[in-house]
Amino acid sequence: MPSVFLTSTSFWVDQFVNGMTTGSLYALIALGYTMVYGVLQMINFAHGEVFMLGSFGGFYALTWMGGDDIGGPMIAVAILVTLIVAMATSAAVSVALERIAYRPLRNAPRLAPLISAIGASIFLQYLVLDRTDSEARFYPKIFPDGRFGAGSFQIEYIQVFLIASSLLMMFFLYLIIQRTKMGRAIRAVAESPSNASLMGVDVNRTIVYVFILGAAMAGVAGVLHGLFFQTIRGSMGFLPGIKAFTAAVLGGIGSVPGAVAGGLILGLSETVGRELLNEIPGVSLPNQWRDVIAFSLLVLILLFRPTGIFGGKVAKRA
Amino acid sequence: MALVALLAIGVAACGDDDSTSKTGGAVTYGKAGFTTVTIDAGAPVKIGISSVISGDLKGLGEPIVNAAKLAGEGKDVKGHKIEFVVKDDTCSAEGGASAAAQILQENVVAAVGPICSGAVVAAQPQYEAKGVTHVSPSSTAIKPTTPDRGQVFQTFLRVTYNDSIQGPAQAAFAKDKLAAKTAYIVYDTDAYGAGLRDAFKAAFVKGGGKIVGSPEGYEKKATDFKSIVTNIQNAKPDLVYFAGFYAEATPFIKQLRSANKDVKFLAGDGVKNDEFTKGAGADAEGAYLSLPAPVLTGPAYDAFGTAYEKATGAKRDASPFVAESYDAATIIINALNKVATDSGGKLSIDLKKLNEEIRKTNLDGAAGKVTFDARGDNTGGAVPVTLFVIKDGKYIAAAK
Repeated sequence: MPSVFLTSTSFWVDQFVNGMTTGSLYALIALGYTMVYGVLQMINFAHGEVFMLGSFGGFYALTWMGGDDIGGPMIAVAILVTLIVAMATSAAVSVALERIAYRPLRNAPRLAPLISAIGASIFLQYLVLDRTDSEARFYPKIFPDGRFGAGSFQIEYIQVFLIASSLLMMFFLYLIIQRTKMGRAIRAVAESPSNASLMGVDVNRTIVYVFILGAAMAGVAGVLHGLFFQTIRGSMGFLPGIKAFTAAVLGGIGSVPGAVAGGLILGLSETVGRELLNEIPGVSLPNQWRDVIAFSLLVLILLFRPTGIFGGKVAKRA
Repeated sequence: MALVALLAIGVAACGDDDSTSKTGGAVTYGKAGFTTVTIDAGAPVKIGISSVISGDLKGLGEPIVNAAKLAGEGKDVKGHKIEFVVKDDTCSAEGGASAAAQILQENVVAAVGPICSGAVVAAQPQYEAKGVTHVSPSSTAIKPTTPDRGQVFQTFLRVTYNDSIQGPAQAAFAKDKLAAKTAYIVYDTDAYGAGLRDAFKAAFVKGGGKIVGSPEGYEKKATDFKSIVTNIQNAKPDLVYFAGFYAEATPFIKQLRSANKDVKFLAGDGVKNDEFTKGAGADAEGAYLSLPAPVLTGPAYDAFGTAYEKATGAKRDASPFVAESYDAATIIINALNKVATDSGGKLSIDLKKLNEEIRKTNLDGAAGKVTFDARGDNTGGAVPVTLFVIKDGKYIAAAK
């Protein structure tokens, strides 16, 4: 089958899957930003570090279980345990953050918790850098290198796993928010904390739930990042944190489906966007352009939809 | 254009040993703010050290600090103690400028560093303005001794060798020993990565090689190289050339090797560190790395190595540029002892004379012979670039 592109079909399949992989990670992290914003109208800039600490928690669990030596059906069990430990670590950190750095500032001017979040982010990052002696840690390679599919349509096992488990986690989150009592409380607080509390919703507890749910998503992202890229370090939360924040804004901050869409769009435009432009004869854009393209898209979308793709009405709060 | 011309000269000069970077044309200096520093009786003489001592590249910077401090051990300047003022430059442009400001505030008479070229370029104007001579053990980029502004910085010198030597040596190795006809370039976007990229590219193309795809730049802290790897797979090069540091080279080579076991990998001094072999493990096997230094041997290196291992507990070859750092500090201390004048316990140091004395250096140091040319480049070494291959997790000198 002749391709309309200069490059082969398998190249495009690969780049599309790369974009989906990166995008899924952005989306998982973006959920934490967007949910916290939804209830508190606050950007939790330490969320990138919650992701990083989840990754470390998972790493220590996986290494403790035997690391590289894990084989056969034990791989599934090991990954499950790793995910649970990572989610627990992230959740614990996130709850502590909320308690120590944000709750005392709940009624302070809006800039105060923002600065507190940035401070917490730097604190956590350098704490881990110090504890790890600034050295990287390497996730055990327990996934085989092989690929699914045939011909041009081949996907690495780990990428299938990463994309599938991200989507599954997002689906779980959707169910929790839409179908449970806790979810209803979260939606009520997002609408109006004062009204929710008048209806008997424990606002403080609901906010803690939000932090836990967002952190659990970040913890999963941390493990997936570790399994996929294999290298983790104290500074790893910074860039994905910024990108995920961007994804949340792109999708419409405060909107859960928006964060997912924003993450995937950002991931795809970073990888596939540049390659598409490179198809134009005479154009050869280096890697640095991936951010130029992704962020130009962000500006364009925000010009036409200032509240983001899924951002409807921005809640007004007196 | 000027850069291209200079590169060509660098390449041409590479062939003969003793005139390595006496690049053509007269060297003109900018104005340096030399003063005379007076040190009170009993007060220490302060020497700055600008290095990366936190973050991802701590494994590169900390050994360099330790080696410089070791050079001051048991030494003094005419009865005055030597005190090192260590500041973190985070291996970045902003960090280099801020570390320079902090170091210069402390009335240092000279400094070791910065160790990364990106930081050097940002810090040079401040050192020049204060007339404080600084000797970098490890900055290899072309820019520090061939600045964009034309005028050369009088107060900057370096013990290691210019990338106008390392780049062409790598290109020659790639072509002759690795039989690479096509190369794909991945680089750090700072002064070091971009400089090395240019030097390698020019020499590789001149030697008949072809660069495939567009060179891919990344920012420090990047971990996601998947898209670049797919592009490499698409371009099918004989060789992947990496101009950057080990912190990013580790995830890069892991992702490269999970897609492609065969393509050759070549990188420079920023990657040659035990952290790389430790982190990348089996994926680092067969990687080629260059270091702009001769294979270090000889009594001076052994004496340094023994003292260093005793003082720090670290292996002398675990990370690069420690011997160079020891030499940089030694050069400064030796020159200080020559130019400092003592009057009744008070020490007077003319920074201009100190600069001249350092420029006159002729040292058989731990990292080999050191003499400087007018630009501040080291012209002492005869075989300045060594290539290594990783075998069983160790760096083995590759056949020349």
